[in-house]
Amino acid sequence: MARQTMVSIFPEMKAFADHTPDLEAALTVRNLTKSFGAERVLDDVSFTVAEGESLVLLGHSGSGKSTTLRLIAGLEHPDGGEIFLHGRSVERLRARDRNVGVIFQNYALFPRMTVAENIGFGLRIRGVKSHKRAEITDRMLVLIGLAEHRDKYPWQISGGQQQRVAIARALAYEPDVLLFDESFSALDPQTRVGLRRDIRALLRRLRVPALFITHDQEEAMELGDHIAILNRGRLEQTGTPDQVYNEPKTEFVATFLGAANVVAAIAHTGAIELDPERLLPIRYNSVNPGPVKVVFRPEDVVLSTPASTPETPYPLGRGEIVDVSFTGASEAVMVRLTGKGELSSISEARSQFQTGSLQRSSARSGIVIKALRTKWDARHFGLHPGDAVSVGLRHFSVLVD
Amino acid sequence: MARKKDLQAVARRTDLARPIGVGVVVTAMLPLVILPLASIFIFGLSKGPVHFWEALVNPAALFSLKLSIMTSSVATACNVVFGIIAAYVLSKYEFPGDSSLTIIISLPTAIPTAVAGFALLLLWGRSGLLGQFLEHTDIQVMFTTSAIILANIFVTFPLAFGVIKPALDNLDTSYEDAAETIGATRWQTFRYVVLPSLRGAIITGALLTFARSIGEFGSTIMVSGNLAMKTQTAPLYIYTKFNEGDIEGANAIAAVLAIISFAIFSMIIVFRKRLGR
Repeated sequence: MARQTMVSIFPEMKAFADHTPDLEAALTVRNLTKSFGAERVLDDVSFTVAEGESLVLLGHSGSGKSTTLRLIAGLEHPDGGEIFLHGRSVERLRARDRNVGVIFQNYALFPRMTVAENIGFGLRIRGVKSHKRAEITDRMLVLIGLAEHRDKYPWQISGGQQQRVAIARALAYEPDVLLFDESFSALDPQTRVGLRRDIRALLRRLRVPALFITHDQEEAMELGDHIAILNRGRLEQTGTPDQVYNEPKTEFVATFLGAANVVAAIAHTGAIELDPERLLPIRYNSVNPGPVKVVFRPEDVVLSTPASTPETPYPLGRGEIVDVSFTGASEAVMVRLTGKGELSSISEARSQFQTGSLQRSSARSGIVIKALRTKWDARHFGLHPGDAVSVGLRHFSVLVD
Repeated sequence: MARKKDLQAVARRTDLARPIGVGVVVTAMLPLVILPLASIFIFGLSKGPVHFWEALVNPAALFSLKLSIMTSSVATACNVVFGIIAAYVLSKYEFPGDSSLTIIISLPTAIPTAVAGFALLLLWGRSGLLGQFLEHTDIQVMFTTSAIILANIFVTFPLAFGVIKPALDNLDTSYEDAAETIGATRWQTFRYVVLPSLRGAIITGALLTFARSIGEFGSTIMVSGNLAMKTQTAPLYIYTKFNEGDIEGANAIAAVLAIISFAIFSMIIVFRKRLGR
């Protein structure tokens, strides 16, 4: 593992790449801007969905992700920016002429139509002859595994089945792109997980490009070939699930995608200084000197006996166990970093910028970080509050403001 | 001990409250509603069903029933079509004065029916605002079937709208969004998605309008001229026969009107229940 890949150093590069139009892409969104009244819900959002791939737009409610979907579908009109479907600008096209398939949050199956009539609706609108329509509808029913429910009404089938019908209804007229609007949130967890897997397999098989909208980071990780994280109308980062999880470029991305330790530090040429005793090596001059934040996942923290040095690339010195909680598959351990230096430079660094969500340090001494251990580690090397440990990191990334 | 007695007293009181309450309601309804209705049937059949039947098949009586059903049907059709259009326009579009328009549409129910009839006379009558221009033509509006239909339309104007508009307001817009993204035009969306969803409301609105139309008296007597076999509706027939002292004649038609109203009312209840699902 080369050190330089561990540290995110060019946050601008990827974003820049997103702005260049990609005419090969199934869907390109460029500099999209939208306000409702005085409130700006989307601010210069750009991304692409490659042919046959899926992109997940991940964000809290109110982040503008549903608005993005409605803009692409043509149900709202942007204040600025462009949308291309297979390289063709859809600016002048009405929703009905865009040929996109939307799977709504409530599925929006037409209540007075049977399952088969719902699936055939797009074809009926397009004037497809009834025998041809029946043939395609039947093929769709087999595809989603609901052939025996063809003549039922939407209220007679389950939520998960309704969603399959909604997907079939969209696939029947061969849309340029499928748009899923929080389509899994209304389902119970078990159905959700199973359906997610089925739909991912289906999209892979048919190679239909898809955009998913969700606030659930687990769902995003599972469904997306790429994930775009939206925060208050701005795109924070776009990348593969691995990139956004392991190399977050902003604190928001780091904390939104799972538990993360965010520690204030000072960057020097060649090292990040957590405190005079704790230096993390980085590639020479890869980060401009000055205040930075170091981000690392709890599962990347390694704990060992105080006498030994953890077998990790980045030792963090000594620590003291504050709290231990066992959650079944893993054990969460809160560790206070201790040592002669008492992490004076952290408080120094903290005073230099005002960001809110830094690790809070206790009055007595240094910062508390969270570590996650497997149940086997927990069993072989039991830890209790007050125990002294040696702390190390397997992986970290650096955030520059 | 004292506490236990209190509790028992409370228990006795609540036990009594129910039968007393029900008793009051039923006793009040008896002379006010139930007995008057019952007497229609008691009197109607008191001289035997043959008499009742003869009174019913009298040509003028049958004509009045047919005329009432015909004029009410036309008025219902007009008001339902208008109600659907008005509900759609007011539910989907915002424009200056939209809330005032809603109030104006609802106004006719608040106007006394005699006033409504009088207003129509002032418009379409021989020296009325529009009627004066028709004087030298063959077109006559007042004292014809058209006048009865106009009066029925006026007094039942907002009833269908009043049922359809809330149903449309409550219809989830995602159905229309879905239809649009699938490729449907606005008309196709309306025809295949919106209209079927409003079926219950449209039927209920139509039944309400018809029920109110078929019993309309106040405005009809002013604009129709009450000509037997020409412009005499069923309620006017009842009134006229009663004035002539022909109680059986009045009674037969009254019973039929009452039964029609009961039937419509039951249908409305059934559809309301279906709407709720």
